[in-house]
Amino acid sequence: MKKTKFGTLGVYTVLYLAFLYVPVLFIPLFSFNDSIYIAFPLKEFTLRHYADMIEREPLINALYNSLKVGIVVSIVSTVFGMLAAKTFTKYRIPGSKSLTAFISIPLVIPLIILGISLLTVLKSVGVTLSLITIGAAHTVICIPFAMFVLISRLEGFDKSMEEAAQDLGESPWMTFWRVTFPLAMPGIIASLLLCFTISFDEFILAFFLGSDEPTLPLYMWSQLRFPAKLPSVLALGSVIFITSFFLVCFAEWVRRRGVQTQTGSAI
Amino acid sequence: MSDESFISIKNISKHFGDVRACDDITFDIRRGEFFALLGPSGCGKTTLLRMLAGFETPTMGEIFIDGQPMAAIPPYERPVNMVFQSYAIFPHLSVAQNIGFGLRKDKLSKAEMDKKVDEALDLIAMAGYGGRGADELSGGQRQRVALARALIKKPKVLLLDEPLGALDKKLREQMQLELRDLQREVGITFVFVTHDQEEALTMSDRIAVMRDGKALEIDGPVDLYEKPKTPFCADFLGTMNFFEGSIDAIGGGEATVKTTEVGTIKSTGPNMNFSTGDAVSAAIRPENMKISFDKPTSGSFMEGKVRASAFLGDRAHVYINVEGRKDPVLTAMQNMGGAASRVGGDDHTVWLTWSDESVILLPQE
Repeated sequence: MKKTKFGTLGVYTVLYLAFLYVPVLFIPLFSFNDSIYIAFPLKEFTLRHYADMIEREPLINALYNSLKVGIVVSIVSTVFGMLAAKTFTKYRIPGSKSLTAFISIPLVIPLIILGISLLTVLKSVGVTLSLITIGAAHTVICIPFAMFVLISRLEGFDKSMEEAAQDLGESPWMTFWRVTFPLAMPGIIASLLLCFTISFDEFILAFFLGSDEPTLPLYMWSQLRFPAKLPSVLALGSVIFITSFFLVCFAEWVRRRGVQTQTGSAI
Repeated sequence: MSDESFISIKNISKHFGDVRACDDITFDIRRGEFFALLGPSGCGKTTLLRMLAGFETPTMGEIFIDGQPMAAIPPYERPVNMVFQSYAIFPHLSVAQNIGFGLRKDKLSKAEMDKKVDEALDLIAMAGYGGRGADELSGGQRQRVALARALIKKPKVLLLDEPLGALDKKLREQMQLELRDLQREVGITFVFVTHDQEEALTMSDRIAVMRDGKALEIDGPVDLYEKPKTPFCADFLGTMNFFEGSIDAIGGGEATVKTTEVGTIKSTGPNMNFSTGDAVSAAIRPENMKISFDKPTSGSFMEGKVRASAFLGDRAHVYINVEGRKDPVLTAMQNMGGAASRVGGDDHTVWLTWSDESVILLPQE
């Protein structure tokens, strides 16, 4: 009886994981296939798409643009998210519920609407579209994520920690650096990664607000029209896939090690 | 400023919206004293402590510590340190780093800092624990680290918020004595908050009994217990049998109370400032009422029947039904030589005796 139950559950689990990951696994698979067509049957194994990728300057530029935007957006959003999270967890603000809801509106507005409205505003005040406008738009949608991640982290620890630090002679500013910041570290890392990921693969806002400097998703989309160039996009996709896999593992490792390493450092 | 009013609390009120957490409190705390703020939850004791620490701002009134007004001084500049109820040990720091946390501003060399931390670890009998992480400590050890972390700052006043609340009974009793000894050793004024009357009686030089945001009575433990001035205090510290009635005659350190339930009761105890006709309660502690199996021939006594008894090991509580009285009268007896087992079964007729000195007159609420 027990065995049957496990069997059914096992099949379900395999199907579930297959549904999630098999489509993604086609990308690395075809990136090593010696053909420009993404179709079975597979041809010989090759690394030439990877060599192509490295030599394709526009692609590398687009990757570089995306990294730049992603890093800046994740830092800026996390800082603003932290300020908001600190405010909401520390003070009893009248109407704080509706205020958090208000800040999270960008989460529920369809990106296409947000994109059009941002474009209208920016155009009407005469801002030139560039990576900066993309970054600003990404920050708008990332702040709510950062805020919620950090609120849940800040609510998780004893409030008297901060009072204890003040009681022991530290100003609110130093209390933040010596107590709040290290305690919020796992949340900060989570927020940075989350915002970076959101920005890195965001397409719609970048499409509306970008200029002649494309981000990676924009570039990839533009290349879909040229079958010859597609395999190197797949190669890049595989590299990103593997990198983000290790990045997530690393972040988890940092999160678990966090408390221990900080214990060993100087006062 | 004098040693008598080392901490001066003057007309302090704290309102949270419509709630008056503290309502016009005025009293002084002496230098070097172990002072308890005792009361049920919601009486304002923690709010008062937090105002001393600077975490709450009084709505009205002023606090002076060592002659210095505290109103404009933020928590991080006050000459006080606090042991939090949760202990608030920093989880990302080691024991030594926790204890040394407050020394940053003193700009000490590494060697001086280590020396101070080691001294503090010695003080709390935790030498050698400096390198441990905060999560490797037991409840009692966390409490000691919190104490050392505060004391290393050499505060004028140490504030303790329910310092023993998180510990189990045995450890709590041990820490009561240790805290007491520690306070004598360092000579710092301790102000601590508790809802546990036994803890307050054991540890403090003086106790402020608080209720509904007011300090009802302030006195030493013995006087508070033996000569309470309010029914609340009499009931909150220990237990009390109240016999309600009115003064029949008073004068010459003697009074008779005509009770509504059990006839007249004579008192030669404290609180004689009543006049004839005043509504009062004659209050007698359970341990001052003795059970007699034969009818006494002299002194004050009343007849009753054993309703139930609760055996507590070293002593027993016996509930006696007295005719005309709704609630049973509680007596406490030491279980010396198995005395508790001789009380006998229910409905046994016994006599309760007491000395008139032990009858305390209290105003009715």
